[in-house]
Amino acid sequence: MNLEKYNTCFKEIFGDDARLDEDFKFGVAQGWDSMAHMELIALLEDTFDIMFETEDILHYGSYENGKTIIKKYGVEI
Amino acid sequence: MFLDLDKKDADKMAVIDNAGHKITYNQLIDLSLEIGEKTNSRSVVFCLCKNEAGSLAGYIGFIENDTIPLTLSSNIDKGLLSALSETYTPKYYWLPEECCSMVSGKIIFSSLGYVLLETNNEVYPVNNSLQLLMTTSGSTGSPKLVRYKKGNLEANAKNVAIAFGWSDKERAICDLGMNYTMGLNVINTHLYAGATVLLTTYNLMSSNFWDYIKQEKGTNFTGVPFSYDILARLHFENMDLPELYTLAEGGGKLTDKRFIELSDYAIKSGKRFIPTFGTTETSARLSMLPAELASQKTGSIGFAIPEGELFLIDDEGNVIDKTVAEGEMCYRGPNVTMGYAICKEDLLKGDEWNGEFHTGDLARRDEDGCYYITGRKSRFLKLLSYRVGLDQSERMISEHFNIECACTGTDQRMDIYITDRDIKNDVLAFISKKTGLYKNLFKVIILDKIPRNDSGKISYKELG
Repeated sequence: MNLEKYNTCFKEIFGDDARLDEDFKFGVAQGWDSMAHMELIALLEDTFDIMFETEDILHYGSYENGKTIIKKYGVEI
Repeated sequence: MFLDLDKKDADKMAVIDNAGHKITYNQLIDLSLEIGEKTNSRSVVFCLCKNEAGSLAGYIGFIENDTIPLTLSSNIDKGLLSALSETYTPKYYWLPEECCSMVSGKIIFSSLGYVLLETNNEVYPVNNSLQLLMTTSGSTGSPKLVRYKKGNLEANAKNVAIAFGWSDKERAICDLGMNYTMGLNVINTHLYAGATVLLTTYNLMSSNFWDYIKQEKGTNFTGVPFSYDILARLHFENMDLPELYTLAEGGGKLTDKRFIELSDYAIKSGKRFIPTFGTTETSARLSMLPAELASQKTGSIGFAIPEGELFLIDDEGNVIDKTVAEGEMCYRGPNVTMGYAICKEDLLKGDEWNGEFHTGDLARRDEDGCYYITGRKSRFLKLLSYRVGLDQSERMISEHFNIECACTGTDQRMDIYITDRDIKNDVLAFISKKTGLYKNLFKVIILDKIPRNDSGKISYKELG
């Protein structure tokens, strides 16, 4: 359920064709630049009703690592 | 020597980058001269820039050797690079080793992770005053360049350094690309002041960036509006950055809300917030708002820099004498470049502007003589501070898809009108790729037909 929501956020920003796997990383994945990162963070915050700390925005890093970070805010994926 | 580099403290750090280079003024001079002298004077060299010591040393070496650099991003679109190469047939390329495969040529020298490639192109005559070439529109695929004359860069470096009060104690954080006029200006002003430039390729949204500026004790930061959007998102106001004293802004207009936030933050934390205005055609910054006025003059770009003069003209081109007025903003000063080039023959042209540039921006002047940008006369947008030509975008889309197309919009988003529903997503992907900008900055709108007036020109008034 949460995984589905999480994936929907990524697809919203990066398109339906985005291959969401361990190689999907900030600065590496097609289209994941600062602008997209800002939008992704905002969308995740809205979707899960959370507010990220600075350090977590900076260390978000990747699709996989993001799952670990988001857990800290009480969202099990 | 360029920027009087040989008159600075020889053992002081001039350039530090996050690739691990630490280079003193003395070393910078030696490295630069070594690169520059491998090239023929008065020939054109394309510099594919990254914020690293190699890019900077090459640029200085070429200027010093009287070779003419065109500064481009090392992330440049391959198609655009080929188009520029065909148009301006450079004798050399100076580029990061990993970019070698983008162009063909013989490696004649390498240093600091960069290589100098010599091509088979003939050297052609260029104007004696020509010193540097820069692109005007960031990334829209235009071969149009701005021609800098000798003296432009140094005048601007000096006057901006005076306006900011830079001393050799500064450690300037430079994350804006040096192929972008304001990025280059940050470098030039600080080298002129004998200070240290902290080049970085790290992204503002990565922890590397913040670790780097803390470790290197950056004292000032220059950002475009988007940089400050990121800073706000990161709750920058809660970060502990005791060495950071000056926050400068340029490259586009901040929202009033953001302007006030920054001004308040600066007052509360004992720092300076300094908005500026500049254009590529004026070798970067032409005005700044003194920090002490930021709290009273929300949205203002302030006054002309030293040796410069700002004025307004009306629709007929007459200078407006009244103090409180609105009109097209014009600038006169030693940093005004010579004109544009659209082909290599244009590089032979002399000074067409004679020190006076009409910005195409509309501005208001208040009772104290402070200027405020209110709009734009000509058809371009500034998306994330990249100037994106509306007419060029229209042309690119029309030609690529063989369709009718009209582009309008605001600095927040470009609206693209087309009539064929089936290619909506293709158009979006195409323009995003061509400009290198995020797709949500564009919106494609389907119409039954593109409105035109009697003479067949697109009627923009009927759109949005």
